[in-house]
Amino acid sequence: MSTTNSIPAAQPALREQLREFILENLAHPKGVTSFTDDEPLMETGVIDSLGIFRLVSFLEDELGVRISDEEINPDTLKNLNTIEALVIRKREK
Amino acid sequence: MAYILQQLLQKSAQRYPEKLAVWARGRSIRYRELEQRSNQLAHLLRQNGVRKGDRVGIYFPKCVESVIAMLGVVKAGGVYVPLDPQAPAERIGYIIGNCGICGLITHAEKRRALDPVTLESLAFSLLTDEAPQTSKGSGVIPWTVLQEFPSDIAPSVTLTETDLAYILYTSGSTGRPKGVMLTHQNALTFVEWCAEKFHITSDDRLSNHAPLHFDLSVFDVYNALEAGASLYMVTEDLALFPARLASFLETQEITVWYSVPSALTLLLLHADLQADKLKKLRTILFAGEVFAMKYLQQLAERLPQTDLWNLYGPTETNVCTYYEVERERLPGMDKLPIGIACENTEVFAVNGDDEIITQAGGTGELYVRGPAVTCGYWADPEKTGRMVVPNRFQHNFEEKMYRTGDLVQLGADGNYYFLGRRDSMVKSRGYRIELGEIESALLSHPSVKEAVAIAVADDIVGSRIRAVVAFQDGIRLTAEELQHYCGTRIPKYMIPEAIEFRAELPKTSTGKVDRVQLAQESLQVALK
Repeated sequence: MSTTNSIPAAQPALREQLREFILENLAHPKGVTSFTDDEPLMETGVIDSLGIFRLVSFLEDELGVRISDEEINPDTLKNLNTIEALVIRKREK
Repeated sequence: MAYILQQLLQKSAQRYPEKLAVWARGRSIRYRELEQRSNQLAHLLRQNGVRKGDRVGIYFPKCVESVIAMLGVVKAGGVYVPLDPQAPAERIGYIIGNCGICGLITHAEKRRALDPVTLESLAFSLLTDEAPQTSKGSGVIPWTVLQEFPSDIAPSVTLTETDLAYILYTSGSTGRPKGVMLTHQNALTFVEWCAEKFHITSDDRLSNHAPLHFDLSVFDVYNALEAGASLYMVTEDLALFPARLASFLETQEITVWYSVPSALTLLLLHADLQADKLKKLRTILFAGEVFAMKYLQQLAERLPQTDLWNLYGPTETNVCTYYEVERERLPGMDKLPIGIACENTEVFAVNGDDEIITQAGGTGELYVRGPAVTCGYWADPEKTGRMVVPNRFQHNFEEKMYRTGDLVQLGADGNYYFLGRRDSMVKSRGYRIELGEIESALLSHPSVKEAVAIAVADDIVGSRIRAVVAFQDGIRLTAEELQHYCGTRIPKYMIPEAIEFRAELPKTSTGKVDRVQLAQESLQVALK
């Protein structure tokens, strides 16, 4: 399935890493085979109450960024674009 | 004393017209308006053919209109059927057909996803979101039409407490969901018990965490109405984010919270619960699954001022037993009781010799009798006959009792303790899951020859599901393809998280799939 990007990939390798993690660990077990970069992941049920923390653990353990409780919210984790933006922002600190 | 649910609203609207009745997503409605809008809705439904006993689906994400819809339907003499907004369209279409639903109160987007044949069968679709122009089709009605109808009084309908109020669909072992029929009396038996036990007053502020197709929400909605209290609905933007949810509890000054244990565990692990910020939270009720003792103990320590209650009961009876957590006993307990029967309900455990257990240590299947018990499953006399059975222990008159399928033990303390299931129903996040329904979904795929769904115990959610599948010769699918296929038939929370493929599934000596061996093998495999 083609991906429609509303924001050009700032760091393509990071984006692909995120996409792959979400696909394998969150989307597939929910029967979702693909998603676009701007598709809202919670609304479609890809990210549920457990998935949020698996994602955050991945960001922290594998990508080395520290996410505060306030940064875990419907805006930062809305879709692949916003998640990528969050990681980039945290890395720049 | 109210005998039908709408009387709870009517009385509170008279006493507290200006009080906030329902809050959701930053919007709210007062009691007077809730009474008026539901009256208008009831007239609209009658005009669109709804008659006593007719089923109306409620199919949209939780919001203020959800409660208007529930009350509007019962005021029209109808029976509301809350439909899971996250379930696949095929499943919703099945329920609409199975239940003979005559119309929907829904959102344009949800309606569009339904099968055209299903839509054809409906007399009306009332859209609560503002997009009437974009939806074409006979019977599409915009919410704005409500204001044309009388608001001060409900249509005249003759209802008694034995009339159905709502039908809740739950997972079915033979592959299709089953509609549990619940009367006004069933609901009020529970509501009145809660009002008395938990002393709900008009000063209370109740949260509603559970989805509306889940019977925990009956307490939230109707006990709020009963007392003239305020209801604060928890929607996904809060439910998924424990830190925000904890903030919500604090800001909205929630006094009584009722949810499945896993929601509390996630709050405990991922939000900073501070007793001094949650001074108003006087009571926490939990039900639907086993609460891991270590997490309950931590919660109890975090919130020393909050009463904690374990409530137990299937959808077929709502809550039938209860246990108030005895804090002094907690540290030494390895198992939490399900407690004793609620007042106005009777339970007993029946052993293998068909005797009622009276001695401590005895074990048996739990049965329930009394006005809380369902009259059965919609359009399913076979299942009704199996589960809602004549009470053979009652010698003075004929009555029914419900067999829960739960195995329990009577403790020395006089409380019942849950041991396990007779069958292959499991709980995950409080959701009832028949492994058979998952297997039916897998087996319905033409490439699947054999399939077994297995539950793996989990501290937080109760169970996680995996599957073992054998394909028809020569055909292969990936796990993702099969998971995706499942997603078109069963809700996401039922989809196996992992699927293992074998050429053949192990068999017992009688040629049946050896579930016990597969379950044992799966214990060795770690689920991430």
